[in-house]
Amino acid sequence: MIEVKNLVRTFKSGDRTIKPVNDVSFELEQGALASIVGKSGSGKSTLLSLLGALDKPTSGDVVVNGVSLATMPDGKLTNYRRRDIGFVFQQFNLIPNLSAVDNVMLPMEFAGVRKGVRAERARQLLEQVQLDPYKHVRRINRLSGGEQQRVAIARALANEPKLILADEPTGNLDEQTGEHIIELLSTLSRDHNTTILVVTHDRALANKTDRRFRLQQGRLTEEPVRTRATAAVTG
Amino acid sequence: MSVLARSVGNAFRNKVRTAAVVAVLAVAIGLALAMLVANQAVTGKVAELNASVGTVLTVNPAGGQGFEGGGEPLTSAQAATAAAVPNVSSVVGTKALRLRNAAEIAAEAAAGQTGRTGQGGPGGQSATSVTTSLTAAVDAGTLGNRNQATSGTAGSTSGTTGSTTAAAPAFSLPITATGIDAEMDSTGKALQLTQGTGLGNYTAASTGALLGTTLATKNGLSVGSTFTIQDQTFTVQGLFDSGTAFGNNALYVTLPTAQTLAALPDELSTMIVTVNSMENVDAAKTALQAALGADKADVTQGQRNLETAVSSLDSVKNISFIAFVAALGTAGLIILLIMVMLVRERRREIGVLKAIGAPNRTIGLQFVLEALVLVALGSVVGAAVASLASGGIASALISSSSTTSAATAQRGGPGGFPGGPGGPLGGASQLLTSVTASASPGVIAAGIAAVFGVAIIGALVPALLTARIRPIEVLRGE
Ligand SMILES: Nc1ncnc2c1ncn2[C@@H]1O[C@H](COP(=O)(O)OP(=O)(O)O)[C@@H](O)[C@H]1O
Ligand SMILES: [Mg+2]
Repeated sequence: MIEVKNLVRTFKSGDRTIKPVNDVSFELEQGALASIVGKSGSGKSTLLSLLGALDKPTSGDVVVNGVSLATMPDGKLTNYRRRDIGFVFQQFNLIPNLSAVDNVMLPMEFAGVRKGVRAERARQLLEQVQLDPYKHVRRINRLSGGEQQRVAIARALANEPKLILADEPTGNLDEQTGEHIIELLSTLSRDHNTTILVVTHDRALANKTDRRFRLQQGRLTEEPVRTRATAAVTG
Repeated sequence: MSVLARSVGNAFRNKVRTAAVVAVLAVAIGLALAMLVANQAVTGKVAELNASVGTVLTVNPAGGQGFEGGGEPLTSAQAATAAAVPNVSSVVGTKALRLRNAAEIAAEAAAGQTGRTGQGGPGGQSATSVTTSLTAAVDAGTLGNRNQATSGTAGSTSGTTGSTTAAAPAFSLPITATGIDAEMDSTGKALQLTQGTGLGNYTAASTGALLGTTLATKNGLSVGSTFTIQDQTFTVQGLFDSGTAFGNNALYVTLPTAQTLAALPDELSTMIVTVNSMENVDAAKTALQAALGADKADVTQGQRNLETAVSSLDSVKNISFIAFVAALGTAGLIILLIMVMLVRERRREIGVLKAIGAPNRTIGLQFVLEALVLVALGSVVGAAVASLASGGIASALISSSSTTSAATAQRGGPGGFPGGPGGPLGGASQLLTSVTASASPGVIAAGIAAVFGVAIIGALVPALLTARIRPIEVLRGE
């Protein structure tokens, strides 16, 4: 369960202040699959960074399972990012001189998972995102954009987080792989009770989520979607 | 993948830059190590010089120096007075005897030199002539013959005319027997025993003797052999090597034994006074002269030239230490700057690590380890450079400063110090050049430990900077 309460983030650029997140409030139940759509520059990435504790809000609060992020000390926020959040960045943000497997193992290393266990789990995750096995040990900077995207998703899943925040996770993928990733995310939310919030331009993906939000000039509104149940009936 | 493996990987991320950084570090570290090695070598030498000859004063009876002879002999009471002078750490009394065997005495008698008393012998030391069964190991040579002849003349004025016409026979030098009350040679240096033991208690009468190696060889003696002085039987208890042929044509007995042989109990030929440190030598010399009385005793600093040597070595020591510290600081600064640069360059990557939950200490550790990898490589190359260069650097440092002290040593000249058997006169330059800067593993290890210490400090600052980078950096440029 994640509660967002009157969240505001302002930036000063010159003598102008911009508010990419302006009084945003919503709730997501555990296991929900939700999407945020909106034009470029509307504040989607900024909102995700606040939910993922990468950044601190100017005002307002994010409450995760009853715990407020606003009052959490930095050390606890690090733990929160490591244990509870899986972040998929718009630009992947993998470590370029490490292999795919090493990148996926990194969050597990920080969580103190034993080496043998994390190597095995990293291999499984890379299989799940359909990265060719012979590319598992390849350095990131020798993988294509789509392959990096999949490694980034595998890394986000590494510590079995309760909440996955994904910024354009299918943006660099071909239609077929994109479909597969959407399947993977919805399986996670359904079978593992993982809350998933994706920012996307991908209509197919947005239509497969339980809830859809639109961000416009920092303001969030919810749009009605066909539920997975109705989609299946009419499908 | 561990933190260490990541650090090693990161250290080689940009191979060209890594090579450049390692090369620069190697120069700084190599210089630091070379300076440390030079410093250690010189420090060791200074300590050695100070410990042995640099702090020694010689007390002779007044007027006993040069060729004048005369004056009142020194006594044990004066030794006690000398020992009470501030900064004097030890006083060793000696009683010198000139040993001649029957054949030589007969030769002298034939040459009409029987009037000799032995007082005012070569160099003016107050030595007493006694007989022995030993034969000297060295021939007199030109100087020796001249000395023998003139002192014979001085010793017996009545024989002068008688001896002038006689062709001067080739004398062998008398053997110097010295009674000592500590295991030291007559210049204040510890005796280097090559065989056997010392004499034990040097302040008690004993029939033991320590012989110079060449004297023992000449007479076919070894440890346990016996010989006589004044018809008294002595046993060889040890052999010593003074390093010079003349110095080895000598023997040592305990002080009371020598005094008894000379039938002059309580009388001393010289006192070897050791001062506690180089800085106090001048003050102690003045105080000693005052305490003993200028009319009774002459206090000389036998190793005056070495003082210059030591002070020039001291400046080499200081220069090399400053250079060591400076090179060490440079190495630290290089690491600091490189790591600051790397942290700035990898800002975004540090943001990524934080965004996926890396604790600050893990990231800081990763950067410190990366710095240490660079330093380790620099140290390996630097140590190699240092071991090749340190000998050259040390001798370059020393030869430039020893030119002056060698000149000083020359000025000491042949005017001479009393009695010193071929002494370390003029040896200052040899002592200086004998400073061999060998890169001992211990010193290199200590130097590398210092380098790593400085590197950790240098890397800690940028590592702490990483803690201030916020995870949101990951979105920079998105
Ligand atoms: N650190 C920042 N400083 C100043 N302005 C920022 C910063 N981060 C984002 N912005 C601005 O906030 C607005 C929203 O950005 P962002 O959240 O990245 O939009 P989106 O992800 O929806 O494209 C943009 O106008 C962007 O320029
Ligand atoms: Mg964005």
